[in-house]
Amino acid sequence: MRSTRSQRIATIVLLVAAVALIGGGVLGVMNRFSDSGEQMLRDLRLTALLITTGKGSVEAMIEAEKDAARARVKAEGGKLDAIKAAVAEAETNARAAAENMVTEVDLSTVDTSELVPAVEAMLVAQRALDVQTTKDEAAYIEKMQEIQPTPAPEEDVDASLTEDAGLGEAELELEEAPKVDMSGFVATAEMAALQASVDEAFLNLSAALKGVYPVLDDASLHTLTPTIKNLLYQRGDNFESQYDRLAGFGQSGLGTWVTRFGDDMVTVGVALILVALLVFFGRPLLKSLGLPRLIITVFFMLMCVLAVVYDLSLTVLLSNAVVRMAMNSILVLAMLPGIQCGISLNLGLPLGIIGGLLGGLMCIEFGFQGLWGFLFAIATGCSIAAVIGFGYGHLLNRLKGNEMQVTTYVGFSVVSLMSIAWMLLPFNSPKLRWPLGPGLRVTLRLEGAYKHILNDFLEFRIGGFTVPTGLLLFMALCCVLMWLFSRSKTGVAMQAVGNNPRFAEATGVSVNRMRVIGTVLSTVLGAVGIIVYSQSYGFMQLYSAPRQMGFIAASAILIGGASTSRAKISHVIIGSFLFQGVLTLGMPVANVLVPQSTISETMRILISNGIILYALTKAGGGSRA
Amino acid sequence: MTAEYVLEMRDITKRYGETTVLSNVSLSVRPGEIHALLGENGAGKSTLMNVLFGMPVIHATGGYEGSVSIEGNPAHILSPHAAMDMGIGMVHQEFMLLPGFNITENIKLNREITKPTLLSRALRNKNLENLDMATMHRDARKALDSVGMGIDEYTLVAGLPVGYMQFIEIAREIDKKGIKLLVFDEPTAVLTESEADKLISVMKKIAASGIAIIFITHRLDEVMAASDSITILRDGKLAATRRAKETTLVELAELMIGRKGEAVVDVPKKRGQAAKASALTIKNLVVDMPGEEVKGVNLDVYEGEILGIGGLAGQGKIGIPNGVMGLYPAEGAIELFGKPLPLNSARTALESGMAMVSEDRRGVGLLLDQSIEDNIAFSAMQVHGRFLHRVLGLTSKNGPAVRKHAQQLIKDLDIRCTSSKQAVGTLSGGNQQKVCVARALTMNPKFLFVSEPTRGIDIGAKRLVLETLVRLNRERGMTIVMVSSELLELRSICDRIAIVSEGQVVDILPPDSPDADFGLAMSGLKPTEGGMPEHA
Repeated sequence: MRSTRSQRIATIVLLVAAVALIGGGVLGVMNRFSDSGEQMLRDLRLTALLITTGKGSVEAMIEAEKDAARARVKAEGGKLDAIKAAVAEAETNARAAAENMVTEVDLSTVDTSELVPAVEAMLVAQRALDVQTTKDEAAYIEKMQEIQPTPAPEEDVDASLTEDAGLGEAELELEEAPKVDMSGFVATAEMAALQASVDEAFLNLSAALKGVYPVLDDASLHTLTPTIKNLLYQRGDNFESQYDRLAGFGQSGLGTWVTRFGDDMVTVGVALILVALLVFFGRPLLKSLGLPRLIITVFFMLMCVLAVVYDLSLTVLLSNAVVRMAMNSILVLAMLPGIQCGISLNLGLPLGIIGGLLGGLMCIEFGFQGLWGFLFAIATGCSIAAVIGFGYGHLLNRLKGNEMQVTTYVGFSVVSLMSIAWMLLPFNSPKLRWPLGPGLRVTLRLEGAYKHILNDFLEFRIGGFTVPTGLLLFMALCCVLMWLFSRSKTGVAMQAVGNNPRFAEATGVSVNRMRVIGTVLSTVLGAVGIIVYSQSYGFMQLYSAPRQMGFIAASAILIGGASTSRAKISHVIIGSFLFQGVLTLGMPVANVLVPQSTISETMRILISNGIILYALTKAGGGSRA
Repeated sequence: MTAEYVLEMRDITKRYGETTVLSNVSLSVRPGEIHALLGENGAGKSTLMNVLFGMPVIHATGGYEGSVSIEGNPAHILSPHAAMDMGIGMVHQEFMLLPGFNITENIKLNREITKPTLLSRALRNKNLENLDMATMHRDARKALDSVGMGIDEYTLVAGLPVGYMQFIEIAREIDKKGIKLLVFDEPTAVLTESEADKLISVMKKIAASGIAIIFITHRLDEVMAASDSITILRDGKLAATRRAKETTLVELAELMIGRKGEAVVDVPKKRGQAAKASALTIKNLVVDMPGEEVKGVNLDVYEGEILGIGGLAGQGKIGIPNGVMGLYPAEGAIELFGKPLPLNSARTALESGMAMVSEDRRGVGLLLDQSIEDNIAFSAMQVHGRFLHRVLGLTSKNGPAVRKHAQQLIKDLDIRCTSSKQAVGTLSGGNQQKVCVARALTMNPKFLFVSEPTRGIDIGAKRLVLETLVRLNRERGMTIVMVSSELLELRSICDRIAIVSEGQVVDILPPDSPDADFGLAMSGLKPTEGGMPEHA
């Protein structure tokens, strides 16, 4: 596996570029924390301040001129037209005169000896006030939440989720932001004291500004107050946001640019190194990963880089990706026995999902709660799914050779059939039924049943990264059980059936029996999968929601490296992570790239269906048979 | 001026990579003669015909050496179409007919006679012309008459008896204008005896009209009945060319089989004949294995012997082990060591102590995606429950035991691999075969079927596999039935050799019988009954 000459040259060029970028970037970032960085911000701040107030003072001067002109014409006994003309003329003249005065501020020509300490004092005061405000507000929110837990209006949730139901995908915000009515919030005493010191600092600043611009009067300064305050300090300020806010006023050289975009340069540099490695090890990588997985991996890394470049919180996004991987993993795991026993991709996964949903419904109907509710749902769901899976397996045995089509249509038709059943089933709990009319709701809330029962178990945070320990443990448990099964006598025989049915038959293994076992297992795992999925999501979705889930699970395992005849547990984990990772990161990035549009919705459908299509075109790869 | 030969192929040599499949083969056919091309499977008959027809498989693999001339003019035929233009036609073994079309349409397919229409004249487009059905029917009638078929030319092909289809194929070739040479590829293989006789008379009629015929077959009696001259190939070489009048069945049989050099392995002969206790008795076995049907085989396999089953491809020798082992639906009765054994149950066959190395290595013999060790241990684990231990109350594969066993066999059988975890699909053919043998041995069988164990593997691996079989037989007393198309191998290790033809055992011969006996048996003639008075 030698690399070609052009590969080596490209690698070297990329590496050199990467090193240059990273070097520059690191210098730039270091510069931020050094004196020169401070000085740079200080200069920018002064420039911005002076330009802003300068403009203000010009307006003040113009107003004065206009007033003078109006008074003069009035005194001369001019009519309304004359007054108007005179005022306009005065404005034009004054503007022309002021033109050169404030568009450029040369710091060296201005006496800043008083201004600098005043600005610094103002900053310090503002910062202190902000810290205090944040603290007090948080305390208030906590207090309010204790009194009354978040009451999100139910109809809203239903409406927003029904739209999603077509794709059967959860929306991305897994953690709903607590909504507390802030209207009752009153500034505390500490805040008031700090507010006073801010006001005082502002007075000093005003005095200093007046020293620079004598024309500035109190009235125009009062108008400028919020502008100046916002200019100097905003909540959550860091180097970049300050730079972006202030840089518009002054001219920025290469040095300041490098300082501002240092971190992005480092990110791009790291990305370039990755690209260089990809180019250099392209062929062995392609061979070991296969084209689809390589493309998705590269796409995933691209999303990571873009997320960092666009200042999205990568840790939070990755944390979401991990949660989504774990909650989807059991559904993806359900594909494994299907592939191993030779029914190929079990696109009839909705059968199992419906078993799981029935289990969940019964859990709510009978009022089970917490862990017992969860276990009850799983036990009931599994029993129902096992019965369904047994019949389904026999059906598939009669239709050997067309499994992909049969499973797809079985999945579709059972979803439609159940859409009727959901209207007719005799569930009575008001939590399940529509308030008016017959039938079950489209989206069922799982609060009070088993919402987040796994996610919250031993959950902990590292920085912005939330580790859903319970969920991960459950996923690991299922994978270990599956692994143990795959080593049992039955499991070994089942894999032989999937790998080479004629071989299995020649050894006296009943092909049909093994296929039924695999199908039942797959269906049962589908039931467990949907319960795990819904406990993490917080809702159960009925009607058309399960329709696409089989496809999503199938494409995830294919991306993980499985083929339609060969799959391993590692494929399940890698596949769920890549699939959900691309989805989780892709949407915020798409939203930044094309803001204020419905691109995220479009992207979601494009990405998930595109992955499915691509994975299916590559479905045959990877097998030696 | 007419050349002496309608077709002359001189010193044709064809190599696929390193392997020479034809070396210096010459073939000359006179106008109007029936020339038989005789040889065992793999003797080079098909390759020679592929060269003649300019098949892509020849030109995609580097072409051939030697010269071909048609009617004295050198020709380099680059495509089947070019061959057709030169007047060479082929009657295929598998019929190439459209069942939904009638006989005329099939005969005239893609050579339809058309007459101009208003539209075609107006647009000057030949594709818009009408079919001239009347002329086409007339032509078809003529062609059918010339092969002696009275059947109505309007009849649909679907549902016709197999023999009729063969004649329609021939009629189609004859209908082609300027046909000079017709190749019949094993035309009698699918015909009944009376149909075969009729075919031969039709062939003679065609030859009499001046068209030369190359008749590919392995049935010696037909060759003697039909042909004027005979070319015999053996192992890709020209064995002999004979005039039919000047030769005998026995000579042909000898020439076809021949001594192909030295024995593959040297095996010490057995010390005396063992007691003839029957290990496996097969009574009236009928196996429905597509392409290898067994039609009533009676066979006794003696304890402790190596019995060979030989015969040409497609005659049913492979069906015997597959039927006994329950891989294909079978009828009849078998007894293993005196105990009756139900048929059609692979499980029972394996449990009763038989094992089989399948001829279809990649299709039946191996799990290509799985590791060597899992392949070796699979059958013993499933059938006898070996290599299992309990984990948390569940049976679980005993990884270390499997590995230890596999590594021992890898050493014993010299399986070349990177580790016992390597996927079997990545091994070479010979090593895959050794894995198959290892899997069968892991079952500790008392009775072993080995079907085509040396197919597609190199000479070194061949020798090792054969030596292993002999060692198992001598050291463990294992009774072995080896099915092989390679007569030489059978003769070098077997105690007795049964020759199968047309789904039945023709004769059981000692390995040192003369070549002619084997040759005759393979073409379905029992040497002791047939034209072999001097050996009887």
